[in-house]
Amino acid sequence: MKIAGAYTLPVPRERAWATLQDPVVLARCMPGCDALELIGPGEYHMKMKLTLASLSGLFDGKVRIADQEPLDRFRLTVEGSGKIGFMRGEGLLTLAGSGASTEVAFDGDVQVGGTIAAIGQRLLDTTSRMLIKRFFEKLISIERNDG
Amino acid sequence: MATTVSKPETLVGKRIRRQEDPRLITGTAVYVDDLKLPGMHHAAFVRSPHAAARIRSINTRAALALPGVAAVFTGADVAHLGPVPTGASLPDLRVPHHHLLAQDRVYFCGHPVAAVVATDRYIAADAADLVEVDYEPLPAVADPEKAIAPGAPAVHPQWPDNVAFTFHQEGGDTAQAFRDAEVIVKQRITSQRLIPMAMETRGVVAEWRAGEKSITLHTSTQIPHLVRSLVAGILGMPENHLRVITPEVGGGFGSKLNVYAEEALMAWIASRINHPVKWIESRRENFLVTIHGRGHADYFELAARRDGTILGMKLKLIQDLGAYHQLLTPAIPTLSVLMMPGLYHFANITADIIGAFTNCFPTDAYRGAGRPEATHGIERMVDILAAELHMDPADIRFKNFVPNDRFPYATATGLQYDSGNYRAPLIAALGLVDYPNLRAEQQRAREEGRLMGIGLSTYGEICAMGPSAAMPAGGWESATVKIEPSGKVTVLTGASPHGQGEETTFAQIVADELGVKMDDVMVIHGDTDIVQYGIGTFGSRGTAIGGTALYYALQDLKAKIKKFGAMLLDTDDVTFSGGSCTDERTGKSVSVAEMAGAAYRAVKLPPNTEPGLVATRFWEPPNFTFPFGAHIVVTEVDRDTGTIAIRRYVCVDDIGNIINPLIVDGQIHGGVAQGLGQALWEHAVYDDTGQLITGEFTDYAIPRAPMMPWIESSHTVTPSPVNPLGVKGVGEAGTIGCSPAVVNSVVDALAPLGVRHIDMPLTPEKIWKLIQQKGRA
Repeated sequence: MKIAGAYTLPVPRERAWATLQDPVVLARCMPGCDALELIGPGEYHMKMKLTLASLSGLFDGKVRIADQEPLDRFRLTVEGSGKIGFMRGEGLLTLAGSGASTEVAFDGDVQVGGTIAAIGQRLLDTTSRMLIKRFFEKLISIERNDG
Repeated sequence: MATTVSKPETLVGKRIRRQEDPRLITGTAVYVDDLKLPGMHHAAFVRSPHAAARIRSINTRAALALPGVAAVFTGADVAHLGPVPTGASLPDLRVPHHHLLAQDRVYFCGHPVAAVVATDRYIAADAADLVEVDYEPLPAVADPEKAIAPGAPAVHPQWPDNVAFTFHQEGGDTAQAFRDAEVIVKQRITSQRLIPMAMETRGVVAEWRAGEKSITLHTSTQIPHLVRSLVAGILGMPENHLRVITPEVGGGFGSKLNVYAEEALMAWIASRINHPVKWIESRRENFLVTIHGRGHADYFELAARRDGTILGMKLKLIQDLGAYHQLLTPAIPTLSVLMMPGLYHFANITADIIGAFTNCFPTDAYRGAGRPEATHGIERMVDILAAELHMDPADIRFKNFVPNDRFPYATATGLQYDSGNYRAPLIAALGLVDYPNLRAEQQRAREEGRLMGIGLSTYGEICAMGPSAAMPAGGWESATVKIEPSGKVTVLTGASPHGQGEETTFAQIVADELGVKMDDVMVIHGDTDIVQYGIGTFGSRGTAIGGTALYYALQDLKAKIKKFGAMLLDTDDVTFSGGSCTDERTGKSVSVAEMAGAAYRAVKLPPNTEPGLVATRFWEPPNFTFPFGAHIVVTEVDRDTGTIAIRRYVCVDDIGNIINPLIVDGQIHGGVAQGLGQALWEHAVYDDTGQLITGEFTDYAIPRAPMMPWIESSHTVTPSPVNPLGVKGVGEAGTIGCSPAVVNSVVDALAPLGVRHIDMPLTPEKIWKLIQQKGRA
């Protein structure tokens, strides 16, 4: 499933870039994320609780940041599996803007499998959008409170 | 025409309530899941979430460490067993080795990777979640037409073209027919993947007796004896050390006409852990890993004269097989080819099947098995031809029906239709709907801008499967009748039923033949240690073949009874009727119970006669039977929502003689419900990566009671000459007749918008979009 959109962070590019690469902040913002620990260059181990329709379950997986072009763009991969199946999301995040705010656009693909696909496919689109929305809203609120 | 057993004062032909029903509706029937054996363990499966992947490693340590877990088995443990069998044989058929558990690769979503056994079901399920499988996902293909296109991912690496088989059939001279044609119509028609959805999911309880080295396998199946032979083969054990018991079966529809990996696995596991083991399929597993049905993309071409005379037909049939062959997977589309001509008299056909592997669960026999697909095709094509020629769909059918004086009729596909009067049900159905007035009403509706449709389907069916030469594992059926010393009658039938009501219909036949009360008859089935070998119940064969075996066994017994009657009455000449033998000269008579007593006490025996009253017959049918009928569906489509309202559903089915009209009604109603399911709602959808995205009832819409129309069911009766009962079969007729009538009706409703064909299911969304699109054009 293709997914794309954009959010505006109320901080300059340098700050936005740094925040999006910070595992502590990412862990706080990713809905259901219990832990995010660095296991290699740009690679983190993740534990995440995901709820989709009548299903909920723990996912164990990885978050990878790659193809970094500082201040401009990077590729984010989130993949995990658990007893309700697996999920894999990959997308390109592009930062734009000069001044006090930064627009973060994303364009990617989400794939799920197993029970989660059999049961939750209908809600995947809206759930993915909702999770992304919650991620950015949390990020924005952290930035506001810190700033 | 055939002789029939129907005579005045008989139970055969009466609407008799089913003997089975009291236990079914009071919760006292015993299903597999009701079995509780001492020390019984429970199994759960670890199943692949990927449609295609390499298995890098499996770690079972955490699962084994969970208290209550007895064992975890993976592919390596069972590599020496199997394979899961296919009974279908076609020239050059590619048969992938179907292991009981995945080895180094998985081929479909739900592919079993490990079996976990624990002391209770919940522990087994929890432990299954603890098995860690490291997969390397591979590209998958889920659509049969994409699978056979160049460059598609190979389902089985050894066969990169994904073609399991091709099959060609030719009758007459199709090329000449198409040269002679004044009009040719072409259409791609799909018959979507469906999920059979029996109310009772699959389930197995296996019990090992170490002392006797024997296994008792309780399984919800349509074919207990075949399961015994084939599971014994999978496990490499002597067939007579395996007992298969089929308790109550909560529906099959073909999905339990199979031998599944789980059945063999449970038998093997019971012997390994030395405890009984139970596995009950969850509903989610049932969606994913019990056979699916249909899955066709068919390209039809019909050649005709301008007066509507059909000259010939071409068909290219692409069958979605799934990743493996289950018991009959590749054979199902060959049934479609056999049924291609429908009820119509034309001699020229060419058919080509391509069986395509996909990373999906296998398709196999589902109610109708190949015939609904073919019937849908021919009945749609006849309507498309009628529209092309501006002919009435009833007229074009009357013009092309096989005439009554042509029976037995040899079809272009090599069948011999046993008997038929194809005009009769259509005339009756047209009369019931008052066809001329209905068309006039439709005209008025159209003038008002309403979308009203009238759809016809005049279908044919292949039932009573079948002559052994045409079947993969024998097509006969067996019956044993025992008149017990008390005069009570016990029937053992090999045609193990799963909802067909044979305990009632067979008792009716026995009661009529022996003159005993139905209550004195006990019909036993589904236990391979009690019942002589049999084939099973599928392909609308239970009564036509199983009932005929019973009929002949009863004739044998009647002959023997008369000998005891003559001996007891001390005469040479007795008549047997109404449950007693009578000496017409003296008027003295003896009852069945008295004769049975004499036969078992055996103090004195008639000349050349053995004690006891038992007869067994194995009856081999000389031909299939061919029911037929006409369904008419009146619909109205809501322009604003795309919703289809069925205003009338009229069906006139000719299924030969009828043993029990009440049971026949039930079969027609259930069959029509499943036909409507395909026509309007059901679709098993895999996404491009091979994920089944219709994996629960919110996404897979089966018909529910409020969605059903009132079904006006009646019959014409053309007895079959193939069997002495004159019966044809009714299990699948409703389904086969239904879907084309519904689709023809909706296409007729939308015809003023320029609609010529719509593929099933006709969901409101699809219809609404079509109306929007055509409205704009």
